[in-house]
Amino acid sequence: MPGKEFFIRRYEQLGWIYREFEPNPSIRINNMNTKKTNIVKRLESLGVVLEKIPFLDYGFWVCKSRFSLGATAEYLLGLYSIQEAAAQIPVTLFTELENKAVLDACAAPGGKTVQLADLMQNTGVITALDVKKQRLFALSNQLERCRVKNTVVYLMDARKSSLLGVKFDRILLDVPCSGNYVTDRAWFNRRALKDIERNAEVQRLILAEAVNVAKNNGEIIYSTCSLEPEENELNIDWAIRTLNLEVEEINCYGDKALTNVFGRQLDRSIANCRRIWPTQTQGFFVCKLKKRA
Amino acid sequence: MKPINDFISRFETSINLDEKLTVKKQNRFFLINKTLRFQILKDFFYVGAYLGKVKDGIFFPSFILLAMIAETKANKTMVDKKTAWLFICGRDVFKRGIMQMTGSKSKGDYTLVLNQNSECLGFGKILCNINEEKDKSKVIVKNISNLGDFLKREK
Repeated sequence: MPGKEFFIRRYEQLGWIYREFEPNPSIRINNMNTKKTNIVKRLESLGVVLEKIPFLDYGFWVCKSRFSLGATAEYLLGLYSIQEAAAQIPVTLFTELENKAVLDACAAPGGKTVQLADLMQNTGVITALDVKKQRLFALSNQLERCRVKNTVVYLMDARKSSLLGVKFDRILLDVPCSGNYVTDRAWFNRRALKDIERNAEVQRLILAEAVNVAKNNGEIIYSTCSLEPEENELNIDWAIRTLNLEVEEINCYGDKALTNVFGRQLDRSIANCRRIWPTQTQGFFVCKLKKRA
Repeated sequence: MKPINDFISRFETSINLDEKLTVKKQNRFFLINKTLRFQILKDFFYVGAYLGKVKDGIFFPSFILLAMIAETKANKTMVDKKTAWLFICGRDVFKRGIMQMTGSKSKGDYTLVLNQNSECLGFGKILCNINEEKDKSKVIVKNISNLGDFLKREK
């Protein structure tokens, strides 16, 4: 195991100085379910101190709460979801979601599926896949709690999504990844480079299958909560060269992604991706890809 | 369809569910729309609006179905803030916590339990007529199902 020092040195080589960090928990208001009520006022009346997240339309930091926000009547009624701030970004990068055919390729536990349904106002169709049956129960519970009505869920590996026989307008690839030390205290002791490379390979296969099921000019959002370039910039560089994809410019929180990784020069358009080092949120990477017609 | 319609009728109301848009997967029922109807494959895990399931001959409604029933003129019991929270925690509804009761007040009938924002928290069975019961500490509605169920499911 390479251990903490190894990864810290890697981050330094990528231009970032490691720091311990614990982000505030955050919530996302489910707009669709809160048309008749002011959920922020309701939570504040319970003594919860919220602060609007400046880079998100419906996101709030939870600065103070005497109780778990996962056990309030408002949460159980689907008026809001608990969703890490950076994890709220990917879905917001799609354009025109209403009435579209959307694939959520690695959907469980369903935070982003619910967010998609919310932005789609329950129109169109979301096809949500996950490879583990146990995780589909969590996903289904989220859908029921948040009154989602436009989603079909399958037990399916994202690498086989062409079996569905559907072409999608929008594809969310929140791919399984190595995670990061902010959300997992034991991360440095658990991870080795070979795990990261194994994950990166699975991610490339998922990306390749997404291209097969995307409509021409369809939008693909790729995201991970990994800080490791193998799962992020290097995979996107591979996708540009191999899959006829191009990186779209996005306007969201985060730094321009790296175009030089450990001395290797990558496609310049990768600067349009966003790398989020853990300063206000957990570590994250997000980009928008378009299938060339 | 019959278990769903029978369940809804216990609230002295009805919902016009389109049979063609109601799908059954094993013991679970879902309501879909026309767009979903043309896209779903046979082996889906979940689709559209989950309505509930039948287990050992008993229908267990989803909270989506209860919210749909709450939009009709069904039997409803609106409770105060404290009672609302206790109901979610699994407690029965005492007379003192009831702010308003509409529809049937007859023993044995089902009633939805709503908070002060008219949001459906679950349902219960009426144990005695609120108008005939003078003791404020008497249970009027027995808790059958409440939103707290979401917290138990994944444990």
